[in-house]
Amino acid sequence: MQVEDIIRVNELSKKFGAFYAVNRISFNIHRGEILGFLGPNGAGKTTTIKMINGLLRITSGNVFVKGLNVKKQIKQIKAFTGYMSQKFSLYPLLTSLENIEFFGGISGLSRKEIKKFQQQIEDTIPIEILKQKIMDIPPGIKQQVALFTCLMPDPDIIFLDEPTSGVDPKNRRDFWMQIYKLKKAGKTILVTTHNLDEAEYADRIIIIHNGKIIRQGEPSSLLKNENMDSMEDLFKKAVTDDETN
Amino acid sequence: MRIFYLLKKELIEIFRQKEMLVIMFIAPILQTIILGYVVTTDVHNIPVEVINLSKNKAAYRIANRINRSDLFDVKKITNQPGDHLKTLKQGKAKSIIILRDSYDKKRKPLAYPEIQILMDGIDSNTSVIAAGYFNGVARQYILEDMRKKGFELPLESQTLIRFNPNLKSINYMGPGIVALLLTIISMFLTSITLVREKEQQTMDTLLISRLTPMEIYLGKSLPMALLGLIEMGIGILVVILVFGIPLRGSLLYLFLAAVIFLFAILSYALLISTLCSSQQQALFFSWFSMVTFLLLAGLFTPVENIPKGLHWVADINPLRYLIKIIREIFLKGNGIEYFYKDLLILGAITVTVLSLSLLNFKRLISK
Repeated sequence: MQVEDIIRVNELSKKFGAFYAVNRISFNIHRGEILGFLGPNGAGKTTTIKMINGLLRITSGNVFVKGLNVKKQIKQIKAFTGYMSQKFSLYPLLTSLENIEFFGGISGLSRKEIKKFQQQIEDTIPIEILKQKIMDIPPGIKQQVALFTCLMPDPDIIFLDEPTSGVDPKNRRDFWMQIYKLKKAGKTILVTTHNLDEAEYADRIIIIHNGKIIRQGEPSSLLKNENMDSMEDLFKKAVTDDETN
Repeated sequence: MRIFYLLKKELIEIFRQKEMLVIMFIAPILQTIILGYVVTTDVHNIPVEVINLSKNKAAYRIANRINRSDLFDVKKITNQPGDHLKTLKQGKAKSIIILRDSYDKKRKPLAYPEIQILMDGIDSNTSVIAAGYFNGVARQYILEDMRKKGFELPLESQTLIRFNPNLKSINYMGPGIVALLLTIISMFLTSITLVREKEQQTMDTLLISRLTPMEIYLGKSLPMALLGLIEMGIGILVVILVFGIPLRGSLLYLFLAAVIFLFAILSYALLISTLCSSQQQALFFSWFSMVTFLLLAGLFTPVENIPKGLHWVADINPLRYLIKIIREIFLKGNGIEYFYKDLLILGAITVTVLSLSLLNFKRLISK
């Protein structure tokens, strides 16, 4: 089957002062796949995701999303991308329904469309919880609401930055089930995580360390090629190889 | 339309913080009342000791007038000299009036006593005013007494005071306090608004949305401007109802000046917000700026008293112009033809600060 690269990243770098947070990385994301971006805290995952969606200025290199240049056409790109940032990025004093109304509104949805989204979330989360302030609801629900807000207005490409941090294992599993549903609906998903056990959920993974890509491929192939039993062992080996080179 | 959702979100966030509501709507009333009573240049109840060493009737009458006046709190009247310096050092009195017999060159007693005023000069302002009061009491007595005795005074000046005939300092301070309140609330609340978005990591979501920088900017400023105008309305009501300060000019002009001023101060507060990385930093920065604005605004001391080297700071201080305009509208009933130049300067400051602030905001979002 022919794969289409929906995002192309070429020699991408980000420099803060003299420090390279991301150093000449290149990779592609295929349409309809889940790409896992793995690495410890500070590896450069969030910096990369922020450069791809135009939140950080690119020091050097290029990013093309659906053939559009991030440096020049970010306004058009915003129209078909969704972003869920770390720590869920919801307004703690607003209720879930108000957050959905707000994010829908600033995404340019009509009142009718916002109402439709609110009704959709009411099917999965009890209304009494949706009417509580975000600061008063458990992390698992916050995570669901945050994902919901980033799906307005129905983006093709979804960026999820550490979406499972601070969430218990059951909610993490449930969350990945939702991500699979999105993949089935034809969405392309880039998800960053430092939880190595989540790597197997992705179609392909990229391991990043000190701003450089140290491994990339399908999780099972990577394990097989390197003769490793677990992602943790693979990660340790990749990091050791990188540091010794 | 997108901006409507941002405005709504901002207002919900403000009104959900009950402690904030108290600060916003109760504090201005209390502050205006407290400041109105406390921030005054009127001097009352000056603690004084009168030492009357004269046997002259006039000296006795002058001492009596001082005793009866509301301006002075006479602690002691005596005809025994004492250790005056000790009295001042102990703080028992802030001034000592000594009345002595006076003589001409031929040692012939004169009709009126010699008056010596000893003042505690630590509070220089009160000392100068109090000395003026003592002189006034003595002079008034002497003039009246001379008239009674049929003496024609060679020259007598008559003072006619317009706009604030009773020279009540609250009339001067009250409108200024309204401007001060407008600055405090707007600056403090606005300076933390963008920083809070950064701290709760919602800034990225705003930036990645379809909101333009200008929409984010207006969405943050307009609710604060609205609250600022409500605050000002409360302040105006308090100074009129509680202190009886007359509003002789147009309320419309007052709010027009306030709107222009608000955009200058809100732009400045947003500039602070873009420069700081935490709410504490933003609050400290705002506090420092506010004190500087306040000291160079002509609220407590005339702008003319500011050292020449600092005049340029006063010239770019928007609070200075608002205070001047508010006082003119309140007390003189001036129309726009009297303060349009100040309004234009205020407008120019607003455009400059707004542009700087927007530029910095755009720099922040594309770093």
